[in-house]
Amino acid sequence: MSLIIETIDLESTERLQVEKFLSEFNLSLDKDVEQTIVAKIDGNIIGTCSCGGKVVKSFAVKKELQGEGIAAKLISRITNIMFDKGIFHTFIFTKPVNKHIFSELGYHEIFSTKDVTLLESSSDNIRRYIKTIKSQTSFGREDKAAIVMNCNPFTLGHRYLIERAACENETVIVFIVQEDKSSFPFDVRYKLVKEGIKDLNNVHVVSGGDYIISSNTFPSYFIKEEEHKDRAYKQLDAGIFGEYIATAFNIKRRYLGTEPYCSVTYGYNKVLAEILPGYGVEVKIIDRVTVDSKEVSASSVRKYIKEDNWKEIKKLVPETTYSFLLSSEARKIIDKIKGSELRH
Amino acid sequence: MVINKPARAGTLESSDIYIMVQPNQGQGIEIQLDSIVLKQFGKQIQNVMRQTLKDLEIEDIKIIANDRGALDYTIRARLETAINRAN
Repeated sequence: MSLIIETIDLESTERLQVEKFLSEFNLSLDKDVEQTIVAKIDGNIIGTCSCGGKVVKSFAVKKELQGEGIAAKLISRITNIMFDKGIFHTFIFTKPVNKHIFSELGYHEIFSTKDVTLLESSSDNIRRYIKTIKSQTSFGREDKAAIVMNCNPFTLGHRYLIERAACENETVIVFIVQEDKSSFPFDVRYKLVKEGIKDLNNVHVVSGGDYIISSNTFPSYFIKEEEHKDRAYKQLDAGIFGEYIATAFNIKRRYLGTEPYCSVTYGYNKVLAEILPGYGVEVKIIDRVTVDSKEVSASSVRKYIKEDNWKEIKKLVPETTYSFLLSSEARKIIDKIKGSELRH
Repeated sequence: MVINKPARAGTLESSDIYIMVQPNQGQGIEIQLDSIVLKQFGKQIQNVMRQTLKDLEIEDIKIIANDRGALDYTIRARLETAINRAN
């Protein structure tokens, strides 16, 4: 019996073999998978795993062969592949029944729902993220409100929601989605929020890091996924927020805007409202602000950018965002929006 | 010796150790160790690594290691290999 580990060409018919193997475990290849490897004995697939971004996923080993060290071989190889792409801190997304396999390989569980588990390769990374944020800000142990936003770009709608939270709470933390999968890069989105809320003294703007609406916790926010997967990711993201973020920062409320356009965000709001109260976090859903009786949204701003309709853009964004859009720095982003069909 | 770029050596298989090294210019030696025998041998593993670094005259390095019960000479060999690859 000779065991070999090899990389699969996802464009070839080999992909179908992997899909067939995974289907025996009720698994499939996620849409954001970049590379897939398999373990084979005598030409037959007996195990597989894939990577997408920082996450190892779609992992399975034939039942009769579990405990033979095949997982260790697969994970070593995929870790090498990711290392060569510059990814040193990795995550594993799998079923809760596989948890023990990865703890034995040195992975640490971050969070599990009934259906899925997320682990990471280093023991204290989520805590390190929390520590970093704490060191960058100056709030104490008081009760806080939180808002998580992509702000692609920052609109009057975002501003309204933040203002509302700032009025009703002593301290507000605004987490900006860090993942660079939006038309506006993170640096710009972050900067426009900071500038746009300068006058609100009790609001802190911070990065959402790897753990709040990132490709690790919630990939289906960025790439549309099948419904059951999407739901599992939403629960995972909400759970991590409740378990770690809310606890660490003493967050007692999370503010959300009503979502009339995007079904992913709409569903996410629903899951948050189900899960967060279990962690002592009240979910407040605020009606979106309207201009000319239409809800303000970043997607309509991007639509108007596409149409070069500056009169409408001006109505939807604060002065700070507007003047950025007119600056030379925005040129490249605007060109990108005009030439794409991006969801975000 | 100086660590110029990230490099790795080893596997996660039983009795082996997976080591990643990264530049850590001017910031000394930083070791992040995970091991299935951390309680019993964590210190010993750290000592082997520090001695290896000393022998190679390395002052600044970040090491992320995931140990699966490797013996001392395996740890040393894996670390030396990773460092050679980082040059």
